[in-house]
Amino acid sequence: MIAITRRLSIVAAAAVALVGGLSGIASAQTELTFWTWRQEDRAVYQMFFQAFEKANPGIKVRFEGFEPANYQTILSTALAGGRGPDVMQVRAYGNLESIAKPGYLMALDKANAPETANFPDSALAAESLRADGKVYALPFASQTMLVVYNTELFAKHGVTPPGSWDELVALCKALKAKGVTPFANGTATAWQNETIVQALLSSLLGKGFEADLLSGKADFTDPRFVGALTKLNELKDYFAPNFSGIDHASSQQLFAAGSAAMFAGGSFEVAAFQKQNPRLKLGVFASPPAKAGEPPLVAVFYDGGYAVNARTEKKEAALKLVRWLGTPEFGTMLSGTLQNVSPIKGVRAEAPAVQQVMKLNESAMSYLMLVHFRYQEPSGSVLLQAGVQKMLAGQTTPAEVGAEITKGIATYYAPFKK
Amino acid sequence: MTRWLARPADLASAGMVQLVLILNSALMLYPIVIMVFAAFKPTAEIFARPFAPPDFSNTDNFVRIVEEANFLRYLGNSILVTGVSVALILVLGTMAAYAIARYRFALATPIFLVFLAGLMLPLKLAIIPLFVQMNGLGLIDSRLSLILIYVAMGLPSTVFIMTGFLRTLPGELEDAARIDGASEPRIMWSIMLPLCKPPLVIAGIHNAVPVWNDFFFPLIFIQSDARKTLPQGLTAFIGEYATDWGMLFAGLTIAALPITLVYIVLSRQFIAGMTQGVAK
Amino acid sequence: MPDVGSATRHRVWVTFLVTPPLAVMAVFVVYPILSAFSYAFFSWHGLSREAFVGLENFVDLFTKPHYAQPIMRAFGHNLIVLAALLVVQNGGGFLLAWFLYREPFGFRFHRVAVFLPVILSSVIVAFLWKLLLHPNFGAVNGALNAAGLGNLALPWLGDSRTALAALIFANAWHWIGFPTLVFLAGMQRIPREVLESAELDGASQIQVLRRIVWPLAAPSATVTFTLLFIGAFNWFELPYLMTGLEGSPFGSTDVLGLVFYRLAFGNQSASVQDFGHGSALATLLFLFMAAVATAATIRLRRREIAL
Repeated sequence: MIAITRRLSIVAAAAVALVGGLSGIASAQTELTFWTWRQEDRAVYQMFFQAFEKANPGIKVRFEGFEPANYQTILSTALAGGRGPDVMQVRAYGNLESIAKPGYLMALDKANAPETANFPDSALAAESLRADGKVYALPFASQTMLVVYNTELFAKHGVTPPGSWDELVALCKALKAKGVTPFANGTATAWQNETIVQALLSSLLGKGFEADLLSGKADFTDPRFVGALTKLNELKDYFAPNFSGIDHASSQQLFAAGSAAMFAGGSFEVAAFQKQNPRLKLGVFASPPAKAGEPPLVAVFYDGGYAVNARTEKKEAALKLVRWLGTPEFGTMLSGTLQNVSPIKGVRAEAPAVQQVMKLNESAMSYLMLVHFRYQEPSGSVLLQAGVQKMLAGQTTPAEVGAEITKGIATYYAPFKK
Repeated sequence: MTRWLARPADLASAGMVQLVLILNSALMLYPIVIMVFAAFKPTAEIFARPFAPPDFSNTDNFVRIVEEANFLRYLGNSILVTGVSVALILVLGTMAAYAIARYRFALATPIFLVFLAGLMLPLKLAIIPLFVQMNGLGLIDSRLSLILIYVAMGLPSTVFIMTGFLRTLPGELEDAARIDGASEPRIMWSIMLPLCKPPLVIAGIHNAVPVWNDFFFPLIFIQSDARKTLPQGLTAFIGEYATDWGMLFAGLTIAALPITLVYIVLSRQFIAGMTQGVAK
Repeated sequence: MPDVGSATRHRVWVTFLVTPPLAVMAVFVVYPILSAFSYAFFSWHGLSREAFVGLENFVDLFTKPHYAQPIMRAFGHNLIVLAALLVVQNGGGFLLAWFLYREPFGFRFHRVAVFLPVILSSVIVAFLWKLLLHPNFGAVNGALNAAGLGNLALPWLGDSRTALAALIFANAWHWIGFPTLVFLAGMQRIPREVLESAELDGASQIQVLRRIVWPLAAPSATVTFTLLFIGAFNWFELPYLMTGLEGSPFGSTDVLGLVFYRLAFGNQSASVQDFGHGSALATLLFLFMAAVATAATIRLRRREIAL
C-alpha cells in the first residue's frame, strides 16, 4: 500500500515539475508584479493593465498595494532581501535616492526606453540620481500646491478668487462675518504645515528666492521668507476653529461637506474631495501675490514614477510595461481617470479642475523643501513643519523659525556654509 | 464569598464603590459602543454625527467589506495564523516552563533568564535581519514566517506565566506516581498538565490578543493579497489622501468580534487562572 | 519551593523539553537581535551598509544636537509617561481591584467590563479616542460644553500642553484592566482572617488598604511595575497612531519609540533612513531597560520577601 502511494506521489511530483518546466520554457505567460502605495487606485490600475495586456499578449500584471506610510520601508526591505517586485512605483528626489543609490533600480535611457523623450527635463531630474545623473523611473504625475475653493459657496456669498494678498484677507473676513469657515485647514498633521506654506505663500516668496537659495545668496532668514511667514501667521484666525487639533482627515471632511470655503493644499486633494462628495463644485486658484497685477505662482513637484527592478528575471516584460507607462496614451488615461496632471508632453486633460491646474502650472516654482532639501538629515521638510506648527500655535516667531531652519540645513548644505 | 460589609458606615462607602465601578464600566464600554455605531455609518455621517445611533439596517459597509476587500480571506488567514501560533506557543512554552519549574538543574536559572530577557526586546528592531533570514528559508510571503516570529515573541511571557504557576504545585503527586513506576512524560501529561487549565487560558489569551491584532509584521512579510491577515487587510482602506472611515470601522468591529467572544466565553476561567497564583 | 525531581536522572527528558523552545528563541530572537545590534557599528545609507565606524554612531547620538536634542526630550517624555501611568494606570488598577475584591453588587459584570478594552487593538483605541477627543465634534468637549465648562474644551491632541496627557489617558483607558486583574489576583491570596480581624479591631478602610492590603499585594506590584516600565519605554503604537510619527504638536509627544522608528525607517514625507544610528539607539535603549528592569525586580523582590 505504502509502496503504491509513494510511487504515485513520485509520479505526481515529476509531472508537476515537467509541467512547471515546460511552462517556463514555453514562456506562455509572464506574470509581472507591480507594487504601489496608491491603494485607492486599485480598480483603476487594473483597468490600465487590462489595456496593456491586450496590447501585449503573454504578459499579465498583478497589482499589489501597500499602506502609504510604510510603503518605503516595505519596498526597501523587500529589495534589500532580493525579493522586490518586477515593476514598482517609487517616489522622487530624496526618497528615490534611498532606493536607487544601492543599485536596486534599472537605469533608463534613450537606448532601452526611448519614451524618456516624452518628458520635460525637470520631470526627469526628479527621478534621477544626483550622483550619476541617470534616470531611474518614468514620472507619473506632478502635483501642485495651490488653494482649492468651493465655487458654490463663493458665489453664494459674493466673493471671488483674490488677485492680491489683501484681497484674500478681505474675502476671509467677509466669509467669517457670514458664519462660513474660510479655510478648512488644521495644523495637527505635521506635513500639512508644509503644504500650506507654499500653497499660500509661493507668490510672496518668488522664483528669485528659490534661485538665491540654490546659489547661497539667501538663506531662510531672508526677509522674503520671514515676511511671508508673518503674513501666514495673520491668517490663522481664518483657519478651522481649534485648528491645532484638526488633522488632515478632519479638514478634508470640513471642506468636502461644504462647511468651509477653501482648502490650501495640493492638487492631489481634488480627487479625494470629489470621491468624498461627488456633488461638490470646486475650482483652484494660485497663491495671491503681494500686489494686484503681479504674476501669481504655484509650487510644483513630481510625485513619483515607475521603475524597473534591476534584479528582475523578467527584464524584457518589465521594461515593456514601464515604457508603456511613459506613452501619451497612458498619460491621457491616467489624467482622465485619476485626475492627476501627467507630465508627459502632449497629454490633454478633460476634467475642468485638472485643466485649471495645468494652466496654473505654467507659472510655477518648486515645492522647495521636498525638491531640494530632503536628501539629508535634518530634512528641510521636518524643520519647516515643526517650525510652522509651533508658530501658528503662537509659541515662536517667524524670525526664529527661519533661523532654526537655516541652522539645521547649514550643517550639510554647502551654499549656506559661509 | 461572604460579604463582610456589616457596619452602617460602610453603606456610604458601598455607595461610592458602586458609583466608581459604574462610571468606570461606562467609560470602558461607551467608546466600544461608538465604534459599533460607526460601522453602520458612511464616512460623511461618522464626522457629521459621530455619536448618534445609526440606522442599523444600513449594512453597506459590511457588505462592501466582504465584497470589495477579500475580507473573508483575511479573516481566514488571521484565524489560521493566530490559532497555530497560540497552539505552538502554549506547547513549547509549557515544555520549557515544566523543565524549569519541576526539575533542579544548573542551567535552569540561566535558561529562565534568557526567556525573561526576551520579554524586553522589541523585535521590531531586528526587522531587517529577520527579513533576510526568512528570505533565506524561502518563507517570505508565507504565513509560516509570521507564525515562527509570533511563537518566538510569545514564548517569554508564556514561560514566565507557566513557570510561576507550575512552581506552586506540590511535589507529592509526582513522587507518588514515580514510586508507582510512571514515566516522566506520563506524569506530565496525565497528572500535572490537567491542573494547568487556568494559567494556560491566561497565557493563551495574553498571546492571542497581540497576535490577532498585530499589523506590523504582516506588513513586511506578507506581500500578496491572498495571504494578508485582517489588520493588514484593513489598512488597505487607509489610502494616501482619503481614508474610508466607514469601512475601516466596520472592519475593525468585525476584527474585534472573535477575540471579544473568546474572551467573554473564557472570562470565568481567565479570572480563575489569574487568582490561582499566576501573578506571583 | 517544593521538592522537585533531580534533573540528572531525567537528563534526556529535560533536554527534550528545553531544546525546541530554546532553539526557536535562539534562531528567531537572539540571532536577529544580535545582528541588529551589530548594525550599529557601521554607517548606513538607507538600507545599504557601508563602512565600519566603531562607536561613532553611539557618540553621535549624544554629541550632535540634531540627534541629541530629540533623544533627550523624548527620554524626558518617557519618564513623564512612566510616572503618570504609574499613578493613573497602576494606581487606578489597584483601587479598582480593591473595589472589585469586596464583591459588591454586579461585580462580575464590572470585572468583565474593565478588561474589555485590553483586548482591543491599538488601532481601534487610537481611532476611537481621536474621535472622542476631537475639538469640535468630540464627546469630551461636548460634555464639557454641556456642563458649562466650555473654556476647558481644548483641542486636546493639538495643544502642546495637553497632547501628552491626552495620550496617557487613552493609554490608561486601554490597559487599566490588566493591573486591575493582577492586583485582584494578588489580593485574593491574602488570608481572609487577617482582613477580618483588622475590621473587627475597628480599622478604617483606608487603614486596611495601606497597612495590610498594599504590603501583601507586593508581588503583584512588582509584576505590574516591571511590565509598566518596559511598556512606558517601548511606547510606540498609540502615539504613532494618534499624533503621528513626529510627535506632533512639534515634538511634545515625541518618545524614544518614535525617535527610533524615524531614524531606522524614515518618515514617509520627510526624513531620511539611517539604520546605523537607529540601531545604536535601539541598543542603548535595550541596555538601559535591561539594567533598570533587573535592578528594580531585584529590589522589589527583596521588599516582597521582607514583607
